[in-house]
Amino acid sequence: MSKAVALPDVLREPLLTDGPMSIGGLDDQVLSATERTPPRAWFIALAITITAMTIGFGFIGYTIATGIGAWGNNSPVFWAFDIINFVFWVGIGHAGTLISAILFLFRMRWRNAIARFAEAMTIFAVMCAGIFPLIHVGRPWLAFWLFPYPNQRAIWTNFRSPLLWDVFAVSTYFSVSLMFWYLGLVPDIASMRDRTTNKWKKPIYTFLALGWHGSGRHWQHYEKAYLLLAGLATGLVLSVHSVVSFDFATSVVPGWHMTIFPPYFVAGAIFAGFSMVVIVLVVVRETMDLKNLITIRHLDVMNKVILGMSCLMGYSYAMEGFTAWYSQNTYLHHTFLNIIGGSYGWAGWLTIACNIGIPQLLWFKKCRTSYFWMILVAISVTIGMWFERFVIIVISLSQDFLPSAWRLYKPTMVDFGILLGSFGLFFTLVLIFARVLPVIATTEVKGILPGAQPETGGHHE
Amino acid sequence: MSKAFAVLGLFDSADALMKAIPKVKARKLGRLETYTPYPIHGMDDALELRRSPLGGMVLVMGVIGALTALGFQYWISAIDYPIVTGGKAPWSWEAFIPIMFEVTVLFATFTAGLGMLLLLNKLPFFGHPVLSAKAMRAITRDRFALAVEADPELDAEAAKAALKDAGAQDIEVLDTPEQTPFLTSDFILRTLGGIFVACLVSGFVMFWAIKLFPVLPPMSHMQDQPRLSAQQASTFFKDGRGMRMPVTGTVARGYLPSATGTQEEATALPNPLPRTPEVFAQGKAAFTNRCAVCHGAIGNGMGSLTAAYGAKPANLQAQQFRDYADGKLYWVIVNGKNAMPGHAADLDENQRWAVVHYVRALQRAQNAKDEDLR
Repeated sequence: MSKAVALPDVLREPLLTDGPMSIGGLDDQVLSATERTPPRAWFIALAITITAMTIGFGFIGYTIATGIGAWGNNSPVFWAFDIINFVFWVGIGHAGTLISAILFLFRMRWRNAIARFAEAMTIFAVMCAGIFPLIHVGRPWLAFWLFPYPNQRAIWTNFRSPLLWDVFAVSTYFSVSLMFWYLGLVPDIASMRDRTTNKWKKPIYTFLALGWHGSGRHWQHYEKAYLLLAGLATGLVLSVHSVVSFDFATSVVPGWHMTIFPPYFVAGAIFAGFSMVVIVLVVVRETMDLKNLITIRHLDVMNKVILGMSCLMGYSYAMEGFTAWYSQNTYLHHTFLNIIGGSYGWAGWLTIACNIGIPQLLWFKKCRTSYFWMILVAISVTIGMWFERFVIIVISLSQDFLPSAWRLYKPTMVDFGILLGSFGLFFTLVLIFARVLPVIATTEVKGILPGAQPETGGHHE
Repeated sequence: MSKAFAVLGLFDSADALMKAIPKVKARKLGRLETYTPYPIHGMDDALELRRSPLGGMVLVMGVIGALTALGFQYWISAIDYPIVTGGKAPWSWEAFIPIMFEVTVLFATFTAGLGMLLLLNKLPFFGHPVLSAKAMRAITRDRFALAVEADPELDAEAAKAALKDAGAQDIEVLDTPEQTPFLTSDFILRTLGGIFVACLVSGFVMFWAIKLFPVLPPMSHMQDQPRLSAQQASTFFKDGRGMRMPVTGTVARGYLPSATGTQEEATALPNPLPRTPEVFAQGKAAFTNRCAVCHGAIGNGMGSLTAAYGAKPANLQAQQFRDYADGKLYWVIVNGKNAMPGHAADLDENQRWAVVHYVRALQRAQNAKDEDLR
């Protein structure tokens, strides 16, 4: 514990909430959401997302019954929508871990109000992502073959394959995110347990809270564990998308075999993830009456992150192009000319426009604080990042070394149906989460409210 | 009257709680504990807690995770299943780093999370006396409790006075709960009964699901294929056969029938093979496998089976057989003679002629002339 340092007022962080907020009032505002009957709009939204999800699972069932020939994938484009969607959804998840872990380590206290929702989105996004490799293997009931386990066939997995690294990275990422999320929830669920009078909810909350009672000794270990988890998750979040990029970078396909891929993928993941968080938080902020907790300042800061990431993406694209030119490699030149000019050139320009062009609007404070413009940018980034993976995967594969093997890829209705279904699943889980568990980490926000900490307590992290 | 477990004093702010701790501590009444809705800065010092051992635990488990992953990958890739992929050596440790990292993080996070909950905080535990306190509702909301707990005895009145002097707003005395044994025989029986019923129900459900929905066969992988198995009737052709019969006189490749007539007619067949060491080696192998058991290793009719069966196989060293044309020997190999079965099914065309060469070599070896030795 370091000595207390009194900061002059100009250096103090501004208040993180709009208007006065008492510790008990926070509980009343946030936790009561789970006690009210959801509004009609919630049911309508849920009906829409469940419909989309059902359509998606119907197409997944059709795929499993008939085989993945139902998709547009065919030689040489063996990876298409399935892997695009996988990379897209894993990327969406990264914002949650970044907010909950990296910003925690950097003491960005504004993260506390949005960390819970972002972590939940991480988990849901990784669940969506996990579906795609699972159905891509064709016989998902044998997907456990991906793990190295002693078997009577006496064969082992290939540890030199980046695809196996991916299995480990994504499953570790999911377990760790779930652990992180649940640990953060335990004290909040304890609050709900002691709040609720509903005889059905009480035993459920009691069970989930594990008997948490906020003792000083428990908090000591809890804070230590949270700090350690944040440190570990930070390394993990940087590794996961790096490993995903190895799937491409360690191959010899032109346009994939590049050393810039790991940082480029991580930046892209955070970029896409923050946009999704902005979209969802704006809706939550408006519909759940949380304007004083998720303030316009939060959205402003997140939009700045998006802008920064957009510039990083622009740099990455430029470096990719430079690497292609500098390599003096005919195949690489061809692939890059295809991105801006070939049959899929429209996708390349769409990616550049959505990821580099439109987000530049966020240089203006008016755009960073206006719903219309921030949503416009967030949606364009979501579209752009999806198409970025399309560009990387489909353009590189459809025309590689051997012109006789070239083939244009066309997705089928099944491909689109499953993509729609993954969005349906994601938003269904988000909607259910918003009504069942505290959407704001009340325990963490309580600790940073004015007057929450003793004046004599010294500087403590 | 039951013994007091703790006396709780409730405060309205973290500041008031922190100021009260040293005052109550000075009276040395028992173990001090706080119950708060969120972590309070400086609480570790105020309660004089030792540093949490979690960091060390996580470090150790992280290192164990890294070594486990490295050892596992080494053993599999270099010892148990050394398959060369991508031209890399069995012990290509660089490729093992990503999984080492992931497993390290996995071990470390589970140690941090579960070690904190299960080992250090002894959760889940639903029987802590504070959980049933009236003050609990406020503790997880917005009030701060300072508890003087029995260590092992507690003077409840003195503790109440101490907390009141320190500024506590409300004071509550918690009794030591009566210990009830967890694993009663009733509980065990009910659990076992529950498991039994669950097995029974799920078994019935599975049984009837398969009975009632035969359209959902269990996973048959690739065994269920639209093709005709051997000896299976087909409705596709009128004659019911699955395959068409070959045109009369069709001969499969490599199965051109030879030595079809009598032995005399075969006399003229020439041996098509040259006399090379390879041919003799082939003939020797075939003779040893197929012929020597009756005719003997040198072809003298004294094989190992002769005595056992009382048969009289031909002595190939006899003048009669030394005078045989190659074609007649070949005919016997194909068709058999007397008790000897034909070997057409066992030896292919080349092997039969190679055996003929080899028999000639055996005959020559047993009747060597002087000039053969030069």
